[in-house]
Amino acid sequence: MLQVRDGAGEMLGVLFDRYQTPLFNFYSKLTGDRTLSEDLVQEVFLRILKYRQSYRPGTPFRAWIYQIARNARIDHFRKFPRERVFEPEMLPPVIPADSAQEQQEVELLQRALALLPEDKREILLLCRFQELKYEEIAELLGCQLNTVRTRIHRALQELRKSFHQLTQGTALKRANSAAPGNIPPRGGCREV
Amino acid sequence: MKCEQIAELLPDYLEGSLAPDQLRDVEAHLEQCADCSEEVALWKKLSLLPVEQPSTASRVRFEAMLQAYQAGRSNQPAGNPEWKKRASTASVFHWLRSPLGAAAWSAALLAIGIFTGLRLAGPKPPSPDMAAIQSELTNMKQLVVLSMLQQQSASARLEGVTWSTRDQHLDPQVLSALLHTLRYDPSVDVRLAALDALSRHSAQPQVRSSVVNALQEQQSPLVQVALIDQLVEWHDREAKPHLEKLRQSPDLNPTVRQRADWAIGKLN
Repeated sequence: MLQVRDGAGEMLGVLFDRYQTPLFNFYSKLTGDRTLSEDLVQEVFLRILKYRQSYRPGTPFRAWIYQIARNARIDHFRKFPRERVFEPEMLPPVIPADSAQEQQEVELLQRALALLPEDKREILLLCRFQELKYEEIAELLGCQLNTVRTRIHRALQELRKSFHQLTQGTALKRANSAAPGNIPPRGGCREV
Repeated sequence: MKCEQIAELLPDYLEGSLAPDQLRDVEAHLEQCADCSEEVALWKKLSLLPVEQPSTASRVRFEAMLQAYQAGRSNQPAGNPEWKKRASTASVFHWLRSPLGAAAWSAALLAIGIFTGLRLAGPKPPSPDMAAIQSELTNMKQLVVLSMLQQQSASARLEGVTWSTRDQHLDPQVLSALLHTLRYDPSVDVRLAALDALSRHSAQPQVRSSVVNALQEQQSPLVQVALIDQLVEWHDREAKPHLEKLRQSPDLNPTVRQRADWAIGKLN
């Protein structure tokens, strides 16, 4: 009997090994809180165990697991209203990249992402970092495919703006020592 | 083209799913629009964000959660509200991390260990929930296989196919996922593995008819030969007209045609 039970645990272990890091990154990049992210990952697996019957075969599995992940986070913040907001200081250190410039850019990008409203940060994380397909995101968010496209584009626009503000701040510090690289000249473009 | 028009195409451009003419339009626009090209550059840079690793204690906590769940599952009737309430709140985990919690947790693990030890040593109690746990296991296996078959990497999908062969009995949902894999998986290796997994279930009429149908659909000579061999192994005489139809196909690989001839002879 115990063997049978261990079997179910082994199965969930397979899912845990595969999904714990992506889920952890989803939460940590969304909330900036490692401890909370680890708690929420545990909660997701408890819920998978309890609600596995709710998975409808034939539908995208990742959409289902991220649905559970989103709900776990929403429930958590309902019970424990946020004490702190995302502080850029909570960001993890960036692993040294090929060049100092690239490393600085990634750091700025992290900060820019942290500045976005949560729903915009979430959709960028889902499609870019969790590598969900647009169809899977539509299923997950319960919206049309076109809405997903629009929302991704809006999030990207806002990311560009906050990235721009941050780079300008950094550029000022460097006393305008370097001219912008190979960005083509602006012209004829209006915001959507 | 203006930014407004590009905005509609940009997400598909980023996903790499634009038609060639649309792709040209977007690329031409990006050449001369700083804002849009910067968005594309930022999108690409997002993949450079560092992947953070959860702490090693995470796996241990997971095991403890599993033990606690399973112990609760056999001790208490399903749906006990008090237990559910306690287990489902993240506050439990908050508490577990405190020093007092850690001590209590260790004690609980020890208790679980002693409890399971006693259960193993002592006479086995009647198990009214045996069937429930059995179905829990089957369900979990099904979930694992179905999730693996949807992975992006071919090696993970192969692993999924392998998982599906662990059981004598094939769940209908897993069966239909395997049939789908045999038909549509982009990797030849995964399709071959799916065929191998399905070959153990020839008693299911659906399996035989799918293999016969796949004969006409598959383009890879490797898969075609494997399908032919499978039909010969089953002595499936009904497959003969299908094999004859296959060998008539104009663009058929000569090796496959030879194999089909051989199979037709065998099935006579």
